[in-house]
Amino acid sequence: MPEEKNITCIGCPMGCAVTLTIDDDRKVTSITGYKCKEGQKYALAEYKNPVRTLTATVLTQNSSQRLLAVRTTAPIPKTKLLPGIMALAEVRAKPPIKMGDVVISNLLDTGVDVVATSGLLF
Amino acid sequence: MNRQNVDVAVIGSGPAGMAAAIRAKQSGAENVVVMERAEQMGGLLHQCVHNGFGLLYFNEDLTGPEYARRFMEKAMDVKVTPLLETMVTKISPEREITAISSKEGYITFTPKSIVLAMGCRERSRGALNIPGTRPAGILTAGTAQRFVNVEGFIPGKKIVILGSGDIGMIMARRLTLEGAEVVAVVEILPYIGGLIRNEVQCLHDFSIPLLLEHTITQIHGEKRIEAVNVARVDNNRDPIGGTERRIECDTLLLSVGLIPENELSSMAGVELDPITGGPIVGEMRQTNVPGIFAGGNVVHVHDLVDNVSWESELAGESAARFAMGAKWAEKGKIALKPGRNIRYIVPQTISGEREITLYLRVSDLEEGVRLKIGDIMSKALRVVKPSEMLKIELPMAQLRKLKQGATEIVVDCEKRGK
Repeated sequence: MPEEKNITCIGCPMGCAVTLTIDDDRKVTSITGYKCKEGQKYALAEYKNPVRTLTATVLTQNSSQRLLAVRTTAPIPKTKLLPGIMALAEVRAKPPIKMGDVVISNLLDTGVDVVATSGLLF
Repeated sequence: MNRQNVDVAVIGSGPAGMAAAIRAKQSGAENVVVMERAEQMGGLLHQCVHNGFGLLYFNEDLTGPEYARRFMEKAMDVKVTPLLETMVTKISPEREITAISSKEGYITFTPKSIVLAMGCRERSRGALNIPGTRPAGILTAGTAQRFVNVEGFIPGKKIVILGSGDIGMIMARRLTLEGAEVVAVVEILPYIGGLIRNEVQCLHDFSIPLLLEHTITQIHGEKRIEAVNVARVDNNRDPIGGTERRIECDTLLLSVGLIPENELSSMAGVELDPITGGPIVGEMRQTNVPGIFAGGNVVHVHDLVDNVSWESELAGESAARFAMGAKWAEKGKIALKPGRNIRYIVPQTISGEREITLYLRVSDLEEGVRLKIGDIMSKALRVVKPSEMLKIELPMAQLRKLKQGATEIVVDCEKRGK
């Protein structure tokens, strides 16, 4: 049975509702609903490999500051967002930390590091 | 510190204030101070831990703290003087600044020029008139953001968000990631109030229900909020009888718009635009008061920080020039008038003698339109939305087409095709 997948394009305020038809071999057989080339490109990329940058905070220890802001250095697969945040829940960051310092290296084997986006002096 | 010879004083050190101060310094002003009530520069950027900042300005996808850091370091490099933990309480039309500093107490001085960069505030429950009790657990999205991202507390476990502004949608994702359940985002309009990328990446990604053309008609709970009533609205945005239903929750977040913060501007005699809520400005971001300039969300609420930075650089440059003795640029002689489906245009006046960038918003969502800047320029657009600011570059080549002695340009958003 061919399957339909709906994707909202984020390329412009239009927010086209793009529909992909996918056959039994997971191949895309049609793309409809986009109003420009960008929409077609975005929908295909978003279907094949949806990725997001994970941003969050981690708890600190021995610091006057309760939280440290962190991010992944590159987008990771969308499916890794929740497992990623669970991994971050285990972290207790110890000062001193500079912006850009690695908090978790190779998060969940994505090949992407989690780094501090703010600093922790003491 | 000697405050007898301050060239430029910038009020506020968020993205607008930092950009203005750096540019003022780069434009030749010697003594530039930034007055900030918090302990560090950067303003709200520190609590915006999400990414999406700097895509235009730096061509990089930065988080709020990272975007702030770049400007903080630059400000230090060019030797801007920060006055931290200093709250400005008054500005006079003669530019005398009164402030309270935790280090120095009461201070007062008169800089050669001032940049207003106080940003904006969130609309709160009082501005909405939602009927019901007044329990705990109702807060603005930005307050929740501070709790979650800075203080390290989650405001509740079962959350309803009223309004689909960007901060509300971003908090929907943030709270979901931190283990809360966002049961509904309720929006009175037929479309979201924020950016499309936030609808997709904050709501769709986490299957958070978005109720368009709905509003909250009742708040339940004695000590703590227990539930809200939600109803569908008609074309006049009035609740439709019989569509009401109860949604259980322990927290209600409000993301229902931002208001430029202009109490100080008013004290200084700065004239405000009733639509933007900010100072009426000329193309160099000059207000009606000589030597007082303004940039960023204090002028009009932006969607993207990148535009805040650019606009404020203009204000910083003008303030530096004024401090160095440039003749006061009276407001431009050509008024930009909002025409069909245009809500506002910034700047409100131009000289016609230099190329400029117009920032504008439409009143209603429309597809297939043509934006007409008087008869000097026109641009076809596929869609326009009140929630997405339009930015139009107006080069000299176009401005030269203006008739001699023209005093106004009407900007229209016309329907195409017919």
